Amino acid sequence: MFRLVAADLRRNALGALAIVLIVAFATALGVAVTLQERALRLGSARAATAFPVIVGAAGSETQLMLSAVFLQPAPLGLVPGKVLASLATDPRVAWAAPVGFGDFVEDYPIVGTTQALIDGLGGLREGKSFARLGEAVAGAGVALRPGDRFHPLHGQASSGGHMHGETTYEVVGRLAPTGTPWDRAVLVPIEAVWRTHGMEAHTDGDEHEHDAAEAAGGAQAEDGKAENGKAGDAHHHAGSAMDPHAALDAARATAANAPGVPAIVVKPRSIADAYKLRQDWRTDTTLALFPAEVLTRLYATLGDARRVLSAVALGAQALVAAAILLVILLHVGQRRRQIGALRAFGAPRLAVFAVVWMEGFALLGLGLAAGVGLGYAAARAIAARLEAQSGVALPVLFAPDDLTPLMVLAGATAVLAMVPALLAYRQSPAAALRG
Amino acid sequence: MPALTVDALEVRFPGLDTPALAIPRLDIEAGARIGLTGPSGSGKTTLINLITGLERARAGRLIWDGTDLARLSEGRRDRWRAANVGLVMQDFHLFDGLSARDNVLLPLRLSRLALPAGAGEEADRLLARVGIERRDQKVETLSRGQKQRVAVARALIARPGILVADEPTASLDAEAGAVVASLLLALAAESGATLIVASHDPRLIERLDRVIRLEAGRITASEG
Repeated sequence: MFRLVAADLRRNALGALAIVLIVAFATALGVAVTLQERALRLGSARAATAFPVIVGAAGSETQLMLSAVFLQPAPLGLVPGKVLASLATDPRVAWAAPVGFGDFVEDYPIVGTTQALIDGLGGLREGKSFARLGEAVAGAGVALRPGDRFHPLHGQASSGGHMHGETTYEVVGRLAPTGTPWDRAVLVPIEAVWRTHGMEAHTDGDEHEHDAAEAAGGAQAEDGKAENGKAGDAHHHAGSAMDPHAALDAARATAANAPGVPAIVVKPRSIADAYKLRQDWRTDTTLALFPAEVLTRLYATLGDARRVLSAVALGAQALVAAAILLVILLHVGQRRRQIGALRAFGAPRLAVFAVVWMEGFALLGLGLAAGVGLGYAAARAIAARLEAQSGVALPVLFAPDDLTPLMVLAGATAVLAMVPALLAYRQSPAAALRG
Repeated sequence: MPALTVDALEVRFPGLDTPALAIPRLDIEAGARIGLTGPSGSGKTTLINLITGLERARAGRLIWDGTDLARLSEGRRDRWRAANVGLVMQDFHLFDGLSARDNVLLPLRLSRLALPAGAGEEADRLLARVGIERRDQKVETLSRGQKQRVAVARALIARPGILVADEPTASLDAEAGAVVASLLLALAAESGATLIVASHDPRLIERLDRVIRLEAGRITASEG
């Protein structure tokens, strides 16, 4: 019986291959949507775990999270230096580190921060941490090696930023891979960022806040102004040329009179502390959030998008199923004589049913299996491209829950293959032989 | 070697006043070699379909050694046919992609889970008997005469008591037709099977013991 099935399929090898491929592509569509969505969710959630609490200036929670965790450039308001100072000495806080951005080297964001965040991100893989103003630590995915020197660029090279020629950094170390966008970041001392943008420690925390907001958080916003040649812009960049060999003083970054920063990463000592801290820093001027929670809210929105995508994939699959059913029905029609002959030569109806069913199921099942593989491969390929762009490690993996829809699909395939089998089963052999 | 008794058999098609086939009485003794002839549309194929159980008789009786085919369900007729009837048809109905040997064994393979002991040897013996030497050759590469000889071997693999051939030589040239005709007669004699051959071919018909002539669904002559 299997030989007959195999011989039949061999005889129609091209048609069989076409059906297998069509089924495979339809299945792959659904599989890839599911896997890719899960990869995005898991990948972004993992990226957020290194950042338990983020404190920033009052504004959009989502933007603060995207900027601090995913390093998306955006003009953020600044939190005054005294906030970081207060957090650094808070007994509920394990560590707190500033995150200041706005400059780039090539397309890698330069992030001003402190040693605490380097440790919080998982430490160094090679070299040493920055100890002087002109030293930098590269993320694992940055194409800079220890010993390389660079000037920071205000704004991204690809969008036409301008060079801070007066500042030079030397890469002295490299971060261990984190699987987050921070793999694409270059970390420098936060004081160096302040200096580059002409923000010195001052006694009055509010005095420079407006300028500082533009300088440290507003890469995009300021690009436009720089092109317009606004005079007020000059003092940021012409400001004190910094001495790259000056040693860092950890206390300066967390001094109460330090300049403001767009975001502060806070590692609380306990979960209870995390909730208290978030509550304490949700004020009129500051915002505190759990990135994981903000992400969950984003997923809720994405969830609807996924449902739409899944529905589209399902619709495509249903269409393919209908088209294939039609092909199989035509095929059975063409094989009326063969089926009639099988019966005439003594094959029981059940055997005829089994032969036709096996042929259908073999094709559809093979397509289904190939589609799962193809979908996985596609999701991997998409994830690899997105990873290269964003630095977020996207884990493409199957979950036990995937088994249910696949089993349902396999079951539907078995049932679908029964349609032509039943038709063949009901055919009168005498009529089939005549036809 | 079953004998056949046909009694008050009548087949009507919707919309036709006269029955397509009406046979009040027909007896075929066990081991007989019968020719069935008549013009196209005279009911030969209908009769063949009825006596092999491919179609069910709605009126009358068709009794092969006590088994009335008119009373059997479709499934039981299939089983009866698999056990008792070997069929040879004009268009061979071999399965491309399978070897000659696999084609001969196909009816056995499809009707039971495992091949009975000795089936392989029997297939080889039959193929040798019909003069097919390359048993593993794919059937689509055989000549028409060779194909029909494979079909004859297949008809005999289950050692049927009844051998039925429907125009076995009509699609062959004279020479190949004569070979197939001789094989049918010889093999039926060797196995003692009752042979029924429907044919237009006078050279085949004249070699049979008895000829039944059908015209417009009625037996007009039964001689031999």
